[in-house]
Amino acid sequence: MKIVVCIKQVPATTADKRYEADLTLDRTSVETVINPLDEYAIEQALRLADDGKVDEVAYLSMGPEQASEALRRALAMGGDQAYLVTDAALSGADEWATAKVLAAALDKLAPNVALMGMASDDARGSLVPGAVAAMRKLPLLSYGAELRLEDGVARIRRLNATGHDIIEAPLPLVASVTDQVGEPRYASLKGIMAAKRKPLETWGLSDIGLSADDLHGGSLTRVTSAEPPEAKPPTERVENVPPEEAATRIADWLAARKLI
Amino acid sequence: MSNDVFFLAEFVDGAPQRSALELAAGAAALAEQGGGQAVALAYGAGAADGAAALGAGGSARAVVLGDEDRPAITYAPVAAEAVRGGLAVLAPATPNGRDIAAALVGRLDVPAFGPVSDVRLDGSMLRATQATLQGSIVTESQPADDAAGPAVVLVLANTFTPTEGGSGSAEVSQAASVTDDPLTKATVVESHAEEQAAVNLEEATVIVAGGRGVGGPEGFEQLEELARALGGAVGASRAAADAGWVPYQLQIGQTGKVVKPSLYLGAGISGAIQHRVGMQTAEHVVAINKDPDAPIGEFADLFVVGDLFGIVPKLTDEIKRRKGS
Ligand SMILES: Cc1cc2nc3c(=O)[nH]c(=O)nc-3n(C[C@H](O)[C@H](O)[C@H](O)COP(=O)(O)OP(=O)(O)OC[C@H]3O[C@@H](n4cnc5c(N)ncnc54)[C@H](O)[C@@H]3O)c2cc1C
Ligand SMILES: Nc1ncnc2c1ncn2[C@@H]1O[C@H](COP(=O)(O)O)[C@@H](O)[C@H]1O
Repeated sequence: MKIVVCIKQVPATTADKRYEADLTLDRTSVETVINPLDEYAIEQALRLADDGKVDEVAYLSMGPEQASEALRRALAMGGDQAYLVTDAALSGADEWATAKVLAAALDKLAPNVALMGMASDDARGSLVPGAVAAMRKLPLLSYGAELRLEDGVARIRRLNATGHDIIEAPLPLVASVTDQVGEPRYASLKGIMAAKRKPLETWGLSDIGLSADDLHGGSLTRVTSAEPPEAKPPTERVENVPPEEAATRIADWLAARKLI
Repeated sequence: MSNDVFFLAEFVDGAPQRSALELAAGAAALAEQGGGQAVALAYGAGAADGAAALGAGGSARAVVLGDEDRPAITYAPVAAEAVRGGLAVLAPATPNGRDIAAALVGRLDVPAFGPVSDVRLDGSMLRATQATLQGSIVTESQPADDAAGPAVVLVLANTFTPTEGGSGSAEVSQAASVTDDPLTKATVVESHAEEQAAVNLEEATVIVAGGRGVGGPEGFEQLEELARALGGAVGASRAAADAGWVPYQLQIGQTGKVVKPSLYLGAGISGAIQHRVGMQTAEHVVAINKDPDAPIGEFADLFVVGDLFGIVPKLTDEIKRRKGS
């Protein structure tokens, strides 16, 4: 049983981000991390490996060359090998192009489960897992609070309106998991050392059977402007007053805005 | 190609979700701008019987994708056939809505936008406004010149207001079913209801949210009373849900619900970035926190520094008094 975990390198949640003049994100000058939600997917895959349900855990990322750092960090947490798809044609890739590239790479790797995070921190579309499943003509189990594997099928636990469902689909498939799978493990010093010797392959588009033409310039969308959000009026503060007065001031504020 | 604007209309237990009514209004407005029709894609338990009534919200037609309670993703292959050649598909920015939207993008090789805070048509050019990078940048975007349609657009709850008092009935058709597609293979094998009423936090127009500072389930009862007085619902931070004080269904944020109420009142919540991205589009934000330096104080409209246990019950009384109940 083989799992490939798809991980994205993203600007650190707290980093200052900026757009380049061509309205693509500057991904070179900011501090980067593994997309925090992908760490849960890594944790889920490693737990399945710990339990003997999985024999091989590999990682796949599409991104600039420096995304190999994210893959090394993942390898330091555990797992066996990693693959980076990098190509000049991919800068500014949207979720469709990302899915197209990951789908082609996954076709080549042919895992039983392609496992993803529930969303990338910098895009928040949550579209890549479903798009990859649709492109690869595989079932999708998304937003799992837990992923389990049993003879030929996978099951996820997924929140519904009042509780949760167990949803099942036959392997091979694409799955995504949430931050409810459990806290991601830290890389140990031994893990960090071991990661340096684990295989990391770099592929270009032609290695996965795609050409730049297949990708419509990397995006089916075009950003026409990128601006900081409109400045909000400054915060009104209520401080150093007894609770009664605080309550009255809130009620007045709400009433003035017709909220009560 | 047509200028038709499709929208996902999810039915649960015989009734359309509020998102369906909101998106119906949005699709009707876009269809009018673009000179096409608004078309509902109705799915879920009760969709067949309820689809025609979506006409009251301005939908000329409704296509029934299927009438069963099964995972939303299983309806994606039928939806993909139904929307071919259209101008846009509006999907709610919920897990179910995103699953179908994602599959449409993958199946039809079409552009995706969102979650948008605004979407409009200039002639037949779709323009979307969305916040990215944790809300630090707002972008305007449109389909690339050579992109095929329809554009798939994720829409946050409370972006459009349902049409009130409309009449009219949509022309209903049944989509041909697709059964051999791998995306239809996901099935619910068990369903567990926890002891709680269903709340659709995304649909609430007033939310009283509590965090770690609320201290436990008893504290949440106080928030519950305040929410009741305000006619709203209770939400929570992940810390409060992780502690088991409230179910995860109430979690707001990056990995919880993304809400857009007219009033968000947070008590005992610090305002971490992962929480903020779930509520920053609320129209009015009030925060009660005993720490004058809590991050939520930097983006709240009204920031009250104080002990929530002192303030919340008094605020509840004050609101009840003013409402005369
Ligand atoms: C990948 C990832 C995803 C995440 N997703 C989410 C998410 O979806 N939603 C989410 O909320 N978080 C999420 N988090 C967690 C987030 O980072 C914060 O840890 C969390 O939001 C903190 O919750 P809190 O504000 O309730 O608690 P704290 O940060 O501990 O804040 C408690 C606040 O209560 C105040 N307080 C204490 N007592 C009182 C009192 N008596 N009266 C008034 N104020 C008081 C304190 O001053 C403090 O500001 C995520 C984290 C990660 C890594
Ligand atoms: N560039 C990428 N490389 C590898 N995996 C990715 C990439 N972009 C997205 N993913 C995967 O898809 C998930 C959802 O991302 P998104 O659809 O962008 O919100 C992420 O959590 C990753 O697991």
